[in-house]
Amino acid sequence: METIVRIPTPLRTLTGGADEVTATGGTVSEVIEDLEKRHPGIRERLLDDKGVRRFVNIYVGEEDVRFLDGLKTALKPGDQISIVPAIAGG
Amino acid sequence: MKHVRARVLLVGVGGLGCPAALALARSDIAGLGLCDDDRVEQTNLHRQILFRAADVGIPKLEAAVLALREIRPDLPVYSHPTRLLPDNAVALVREYDVVLEGSDNFATKFLAADACALAGVPIVHASAVRWIGTALAVGVRGRPCYRCLFEDVPKGDSPNCAEAGVMGPVAGVVAAAQVDLALALVSGQPVGGQLVTFDGWHDVFRRRTVVRRDDCTLCGRTPRIQSIEPVAYASHACAG
Repeated sequence: METIVRIPTPLRTLTGGADEVTATGGTVSEVIEDLEKRHPGIRERLLDDKGVRRFVNIYVGEEDVRFLDGLKTALKPGDQISIVPAIAGG
Repeated sequence: MKHVRARVLLVGVGGLGCPAALALARSDIAGLGLCDDDRVEQTNLHRQILFRAADVGIPKLEAAVLALREIRPDLPVYSHPTRLLPDNAVALVREYDVVLEGSDNFATKFLAADACALAGVPIVHASAVRWIGTALAVGVRGRPCYRCLFEDVPKGDSPNCAEAGVMGPVAGVVAAAQVDLALALVSGQPVGGQLVTFDGWHDVFRRRTVVRRDDCTLCGRTPRIQSIEPVAYASHACAG
């Protein structure tokens, strides 16, 4: 199943500037693995050895995966993943 | 909805603080505090819309007070020509009914979050980098909070925005959302935990609700942060 992933500005250097990409997988974890194949280096920006990096939030629809089933969160057709990193600027 | 003539503190008078000050000056607030120790630079002018070319080189607060006086002569404006620091943060925020944090570095963001939680003062955090911006409202009970979302001060592995720059109109839009959330908070509206993101490239707003984390060090079930410890706020600055 293909899922749309919205890419924030700081990570677009890894997606050739694309703000939206697609990846395949039945869970958030599988989608990230597929993203890594298509856009090498992106997994390291999202995950560390404990899971989702603490300065990054991954949403499925409107829900933070930390409050769903984490990286095991199952995806339904039509779900969109968005990545919200911590930013400081103004 | 209750109507409160609030005293409002802006932490950071930059790309977010300037448009926020302009919006607040035209609102029915009781007073406006400004906390910043920078001087106006030429590179600020595209987004820091309180300032003019003639202000380059002078302290931001000096220029801001003059600009605000022209707009709203009767509004009390309180200058705090300092950075928000571990030794002044709690006492400073305690003087106000709500804080708008628009600083350009993570250390100040976390310090403001912690100080407001400890003082029982609501806060709206905001950030803008390039085409994207966020605003997060934290209510008077302090939960969910900024640490529920981002946990702790980055130590080098956060996205690098040091050279990213900020689009002026994006900063203006995010500051408007920040002011809206702040005025809603002091009016008793249940906007605590609301996270607004704005994608200025596509002109898309998204609104999500941040959920309190039980293990949050600031507002969780057994919070570890009980006071301001300076060592906790060492961080890499990230220019806006």
